[in-house]
Amino acid sequence: MAQTTAPQPQQIGPKGMGPGFWPYTIALTVLNVIFALLILFAPLDFIMPGWSHPVTDRAADIDGLFKFMSVFGFAIFCYVAGYVAYFAIVFRRRPGEPAGTIGVVVHDAPKLEFWWTVIPSVLLVILTGLSIVVWYKIQFGTGAPALTMEVIGHQFYFEYRYPGLKGSVYSQTDAMHLPIGKPVRILITSADVIHQFWAPEIRLKAAAVPGLVQNLNFTPTAPGTFDVACSEYCGVDHSVMQGKLVIESADKFEKWLAAQKQRAAAGAHPIPLARGNAASGKALFAQKCSACHAIAPFDKKIVGPGLAKLTDDPQHPTLVTGKSPTRDHIAEILENGYTGPIGAMPNRQANGLSDQNIADLVAYLVSLK
Amino acid sequence: MATAVATAPLAGHEAVAARYLEVDPVYAETRSIRLLGFVFFLLSDCVLFGAFIFAYVYLRISAPTWPPFVGNHRLPWFDTAFAALNSIVLFGSGVTMHFALENWKHLNRQKFYRWLIATIILGLGFLLGQAHEWTGVLRGGVTWPGSTMGASFFTLTGMHGFHVFVGVCYLTVLGLQARRGIYTGSKYFGLTAGTLYWHFVDVIWVVLFTLFYVW
Amino acid sequence: MEAGTTAPHVGHDPHDHIHPPPEGFIRKYVFSLDHKVIAFQYFITGLLFMLIAGSFAELIRLQLWEPNGAIMSHNAYDTMFTIHGTAMVWLVVIPLVTGALGNFVMPLQIGARDVAFPWLNMLSFWILPVAGLTLFSTFLAGGAHAGWTEYPPISLADGTAGALWCAAIFLVGISSTITGLNFMVTIIKMRAPGMTWTRMPLFIWASFATAFMNMFATVALSSALFALFLEHVFNVPFFDANRGGSAVLYEHMFWFYSHPAVYIFILPAFGVISEILPVFARKPIFGYKMIAFSSLAIAILSFAVWAHHMFPSGISPWLQLTFMIITYAIGVPTGIKVFSWIATLWAGRIHFTTAMLYAMGFLITFTFGGITGIFLASVPADFHEHGTYFVVAHFHYVVAGGALMGFLAAIPYWYPKATGRLMSERMGRWSFWLFFIGFNATFFPMHWLGLEGMPRRYASYVAFATGNPDAVFWNQFETVFSFLMVVSIGLLAWNMIWSIRHGKPAGINPWGARTLEWTISSPPPYYNFRKIPIVYDRPYDFDKPLPYRNLDNDIDAYPEPSPVLLRQEPVRAGA
Repeated sequence: MAQTTAPQPQQIGPKGMGPGFWPYTIALTVLNVIFALLILFAPLDFIMPGWSHPVTDRAADIDGLFKFMSVFGFAIFCYVAGYVAYFAIVFRRRPGEPAGTIGVVVHDAPKLEFWWTVIPSVLLVILTGLSIVVWYKIQFGTGAPALTMEVIGHQFYFEYRYPGLKGSVYSQTDAMHLPIGKPVRILITSADVIHQFWAPEIRLKAAAVPGLVQNLNFTPTAPGTFDVACSEYCGVDHSVMQGKLVIESADKFEKWLAAQKQRAAAGAHPIPLARGNAASGKALFAQKCSACHAIAPFDKKIVGPGLAKLTDDPQHPTLVTGKSPTRDHIAEILENGYTGPIGAMPNRQANGLSDQNIADLVAYLVSLK
Repeated sequence: MATAVATAPLAGHEAVAARYLEVDPVYAETRSIRLLGFVFFLLSDCVLFGAFIFAYVYLRISAPTWPPFVGNHRLPWFDTAFAALNSIVLFGSGVTMHFALENWKHLNRQKFYRWLIATIILGLGFLLGQAHEWTGVLRGGVTWPGSTMGASFFTLTGMHGFHVFVGVCYLTVLGLQARRGIYTGSKYFGLTAGTLYWHFVDVIWVVLFTLFYVW
Repeated sequence: MEAGTTAPHVGHDPHDHIHPPPEGFIRKYVFSLDHKVIAFQYFITGLLFMLIAGSFAELIRLQLWEPNGAIMSHNAYDTMFTIHGTAMVWLVVIPLVTGALGNFVMPLQIGARDVAFPWLNMLSFWILPVAGLTLFSTFLAGGAHAGWTEYPPISLADGTAGALWCAAIFLVGISSTITGLNFMVTIIKMRAPGMTWTRMPLFIWASFATAFMNMFATVALSSALFALFLEHVFNVPFFDANRGGSAVLYEHMFWFYSHPAVYIFILPAFGVISEILPVFARKPIFGYKMIAFSSLAIAILSFAVWAHHMFPSGISPWLQLTFMIITYAIGVPTGIKVFSWIATLWAGRIHFTTAMLYAMGFLITFTFGGITGIFLASVPADFHEHGTYFVVAHFHYVVAGGALMGFLAAIPYWYPKATGRLMSERMGRWSFWLFFIGFNATFFPMHWLGLEGMPRRYASYVAFATGNPDAVFWNQFETVFSFLMVVSIGLLAWNMIWSIRHGKPAGINPWGARTLEWTISSPPPYYNFRKIPIVYDRPYDFDKPLPYRNLDNDIDAYPEPSPVLLRQEPVRAGA
């Protein structure tokens, strides 16, 4: 052992817990109570201006859970940071103190340690309980769905399918529509890579995984038009993989669905293909398509195949979709995009094509011989 | 303070070990360090197999049918009879390796070499058997890139076969080292490690055999 | 002292044997077997990779200056965040906290002359630069785009670059496993006589738990990447849904490692904080056993929480429930640690050295990161928060505000031991405040950006900015403040270089600390300890004489901080 004859260092300690410890603790507690009241009873967008209102029953449940967690979390952080700051000030070494002075020697305090193990554990058990309640509602709490629809992730758009529209050219709609007050089930899967379906206002998300169907169940409660975003990295245009969610009254929804069905049943292509202008199509091609496609034989690929002999190529009598190279079938690719062994092409929404644009492009492509 | 070394009478093996260890404390200490390191290496190797076994079990449980279909063709089950025979070869090599080490400990050099060579031959025999097994499985239409069944089977048995191959090389090197007089009656850590490794390869095979041929 | 009875014999002992010093530049500095030199190699390599990964981070921040993306294409941005994350995790944080810090401090603190397998130690270092070059060579093959998690199937689209990515991280995994194994054996077998488990410094407990995870979890990562590599190169269908594989399987295999990885980052930082707080509060650590055992509890529980990264990814509801409960359970040992540290501060005589400032900053930022972790662990709340900037904020609070902050605390504390010169306290205070403010201002607003609907890994956020006009302001705010961290790290680097020439001599024990590394000269001799010390007690009892015998140097029984550090004699830069 080193020299044991040296004098023991002097301990400097406070009276009690330290000057002003209890008033400070009360101040921290009051702060916590104020914050708790504020967060529990004021709407969340009062505290966070960009916070969106919940538009489904489950979103409201999740907000409630979030509020409770905020109260607990703020309290723990407030005490931790508060005492760190307080001890730093009160127990700082004063100038001129001998170098050897030491703090109060305490190795443990079993009672204190018992309580600071038990109290957070109890808080966590409560939070777990609350989470389980909401989890149960999310997983099993929505009654038999009045509407079951499908969301299919593609690079880089969401395809929405409704009953009665499935499988037709028109299965894909511009926006997702949901009725207020009806329990809905959304089935989610992917045609290519992993995507994630998320609308912040419904607070729920599920990954669209190839080969796997997940579901989300809830009842919409408030109308509006909201953004749908992909929240799992899915490729170069991940950040523009956006969609729209329209929540509307049941009546409006039924009308919309009926109109979609009618369109599907009519089978007439709404795009005026006959009125396409090949010259505008050529300009548009240079602007929108030439990054991936060359006007060259099929095998001269940039990203996608060359398109010079699209309608007249003995080596490739069909389109990449396996269909004959008619105007309608070319328009279908432009509309839906393509995912398959050749590669992937975004759909019309991702490419920003209007009906007239499609008609122009088809006219141009057909004119190439 | 020097009395901390135990003076209590030791029994049997421990007495022998203590006699050897007292001869060279540096060796005794490094031996225990290297042994622990080697055991940890084998444990971490278990995790490698464990991860792929997890993948296999996961894929098999989540598959709608097992063996899975490729197109319209349902893949065949593996041939348990031959694999069982081949397993006996591998387990036999574990037994011979055990005898090899015991003979080294009892200073029977000649017997040690015989058992070691028997182990190496059995190990090579197992590898040949695996080659035969693989051709049979391939002929049945199970390929590495073709299905999850083939992916799990060829990856896991391939990894195991690679371990056996490394083991055969390792044992050969150990035999040559022993011939050059690197190991003595009291210092033979390399041989202990080689034996541990060989038993480890056996144990892994028990698990793989159960998962692929019995389940 | 009752401990005397357990002290082992001295004399005719392997401990008396010292190898001759290495000779020649290559043996001494390049392929050195000395754990201290290897630690420095890790340190410099880690900092170089940090320079690269950090500049990628700033490019990411600059890109987000405008909603439409200010400086680069989506494609380039995707490679930026992928390589930023990958390099920071595997080439910066893990090499720094285990390779550099663990290698330098751990053998010194247990009174060993080196690690158990010096040759393996050298090998695991030299794998690292090779892995780094392999990782950066992905740029030559078109870049890796799929994020540091590299989920298939999207990562398979990267082709050669993806395969190179797998190979690089597979190599890091091997290096990390070897280090873990080496440290496990060292700590179990090579502690100084008398240093029982409950007399070990807390940094050693933390290193032990870290080594345990490094050894077991990292192999699982290597397996996941091996499988992904096979799918890249040989088209083996582990993860291809069209041939019966499963993309979720990869996520399981990946997170089985990568959740323990988070604790591999943070546990050494916990150890650092447990060392620094008592030294500068000049009082014993509060609740030694609770802190020590909670490290082990965390290490063990961390193997059973991985699927909380996958709540919306397609796992069964019952798995979600199970993993939520275990994840909440891991909050308890973490909380115990934080509370014990605060109790250590109570009634201390706190010296505000740079190391102590970082340690106290750590308490605040890490606690915040831990609390947002509780938010994310709740399945329903995670359905909202997953994949958003809330997650980005959370893990930067834990990794940068926790692990990195702990490492930054360790630099001014142990760097003088390595160089023999004290760093400038003045520059140190500046770099702390710049880092603390810059860090919080950069990552704090991300919490509400995420909650309001900004997903992560977005090269542009036009739609989000349309709905939330103040999103642009907050992103620009973050970008501006993120440069404070750059200035801070730059200042730290300058301080380290400056101190080698101009710093005051550190002496054996500038801080008045009590662990074994502060009983040998600074820098330590290549053999560390000429005589192996004998340990009688924990190193935290400031009211008792030092609990060691057989020390190489004559040390005060009650070590005091060096006078140059006390407030009345401030150490000035350039003084």
